[in-house]
Amino acid sequence: MSDAASAPAPGAPGGVFDLAFYRRMHALVQAWQGLGEIPADRLPCAEDRAACERLLHTEARLIDALRLEAWLALFTEDCAYWIPADVSAADPARVVSWEFNDRRRLEERVERLEGGRAFSQIPITRTTHLYSNIEMLISGADGMEVLCNFMIQTNLCGRVSQRAGWNGFLLRRTAAGWRIVLKRISLFDADLAQHNNSFTL
Amino acid sequence: MDARSEHPPGAATETAPGRYDGFFRPGYVHREIYTSPELFEQEMRHIFASTWVYVGHESEVPAQNDFVTRNIGRRPIILARGKNGSLHVLFNRCTHRGALVCRQAQGNASRFVCGYHAWTFGNDGRCIGVPLSHAYGPEFDLGAQGLRRAARVESYRGFVFASLNGEVMPLTDHLAHARRYLDEWIDRGDCLPVVVRAGSMRFETHANWKVIYDNAGDGYHPPFSHISMLRVFARRYGDVDMQYYSGNFDEAPLLSRDLGNGHTLLDQRPSMHAQSAWERQHVMPGRETLWQELNRQHGEDRALAMLDASTGSGMNLNIFPNLLIIGNQIQVLEPLSVNHTLVHWFSTTLEGAPDEVNALRMRMQEDFPSFGEVDDTAQFEACQAGMEGVPEMPWIDIRRHMTTDAGHPGEDGIWTEPISSDQHMRCYLDAWRRSMNAGAAREGGDV
Repeated sequence: MSDAASAPAPGAPGGVFDLAFYRRMHALVQAWQGLGEIPADRLPCAEDRAACERLLHTEARLIDALRLEAWLALFTEDCAYWIPADVSAADPARVVSWEFNDRRRLEERVERLEGGRAFSQIPITRTTHLYSNIEMLISGADGMEVLCNFMIQTNLCGRVSQRAGWNGFLLRRTAAGWRIVLKRISLFDADLAQHNNSFTL
Repeated sequence: MDARSEHPPGAATETAPGRYDGFFRPGYVHREIYTSPELFEQEMRHIFASTWVYVGHESEVPAQNDFVTRNIGRRPIILARGKNGSLHVLFNRCTHRGALVCRQAQGNASRFVCGYHAWTFGNDGRCIGVPLSHAYGPEFDLGAQGLRRAARVESYRGFVFASLNGEVMPLTDHLAHARRYLDEWIDRGDCLPVVVRAGSMRFETHANWKVIYDNAGDGYHPPFSHISMLRVFARRYGDVDMQYYSGNFDEAPLLSRDLGNGHTLLDQRPSMHAQSAWERQHVMPGRETLWQELNRQHGEDRALAMLDASTGSGMNLNIFPNLLIIGNQIQVLEPLSVNHTLVHWFSTTLEGAPDEVNALRMRMQEDFPSFGEVDDTAQFEACQAGMEGVPEMPWIDIRRHMTTDAGHPGEDGIWTEPISSDQHMRCYLDAWRRSMNAGAAREGGDV
């Protein structure tokens, strides 16, 4: 961790989470939930599809390897990491989520986990992430929407359990390659009881 | 019990000796109250079926025929809003073969039709239809087939409680001094009504329900259990909320109060809200953009008053046995078995507040659950594992501030101790012991 001098000052600009952002997120999720066959004009070229798929596989691999600083580097400055607490595409400005982190809070989350004193992860939850049923939709000039199903096999202190559901990713083409603008983790049982989800989903 | 709390908690409360006294000695409680499956079954009768239990908030069933399904202890119940706006608490158990008549978490229905043989009940519990009822003979009385109702149902300013025991004291007597703090919690939000329709989170915990209740009034653990969260916020934002849990924080203006009948309060407001609650709160997603927008629309002073209402309440108000108000959330304990509990966190919004304020309230209400509650849950499960695993060490220590003479009756007569005191546990376990003893005396059986 860097020292206090490099920490962002209180009130530093960071929040993209205004009401317009919430409206965009809400509309995006509603569109995903209403999606039928992907229109031909939104199907990506093979090259973009391969690049985006590589990003997802890298993302999953870095989580499972607990390389969270490297994982964070895959996200944009205006990113969001979102775990809803409902399965009905509720408006995140009006309904609570399990987590809805902007970049700043996502960095805090990683810092907390890596500080050695986060008791929910002592010992750590071991994970294996599987992504499948990957679908992609072109989203504007430099954007890609990616839907996939996930299965996360976990083991915490000898207790084996699974998490399942679907992820909605919003990716952006940048000078450094494709990066993650949104990772929305939709647990298929998000509205029911959850055990320890303090690891990285 | 007398609602006033002038006695130092832990001093003898005058009651006849009872069957459960052996689980206590001064400053200690026996592990079996957390680990014995038999005791858990007795609690379901002598606590959850004997006193007032919180079942839901009126704003969850705002319209005629709205319902939610809940539990009183482990008994499945339906909370329904009837025709004339009245509230009904019904056992969710068909009078015929015992099936759950309602299997949805929530909805709107004037009647409940059992899926098995279609026995049909109004949402006031009346039986209104039994198919082919001729087979029960000419004496069959439809009016006697209604769903069983809770003996008592009362609402205190929207908080709906039910009791399966008709002999229970009036709800306002039961709430004792907790009433005052419920009022303060309800009235703090810029004078706007609190609404409980903003979703919820249910945490599964492999621990006895009382391990969680213990923690709800434990003002000793924050700087240790929550060090990971407090360090991150201190490093990034400096002296923000909850950083007052450092050094000898018993000297800080933070209070533990005995509200009577097993109810207690941790009051962080004198520290958390001393100046602006909003300005001292660590950073939430959307802080800058939404703050600017409110300033633009309402001016800085008015915006700050609104934003103060988006911050945590600074209160941990614990109403025995299952209602824990923390920050802006309503937390409900759902005991499943002796070592398995669901902790149900209901989020709240303010009706009529600007959308910006309620959006900030949502992000605020994700903050502690994801950065703090997860660590608490790890402690709950560690306590349960240690208590279950080591019978050679049966006693649990609840001695803090028993002998320091640090307690005093406040100006209002409410017994007050430093924040790190164990008086919360001593108080509610005394209510637990008395309720269990009374139940055992009623049943006349063995422990």
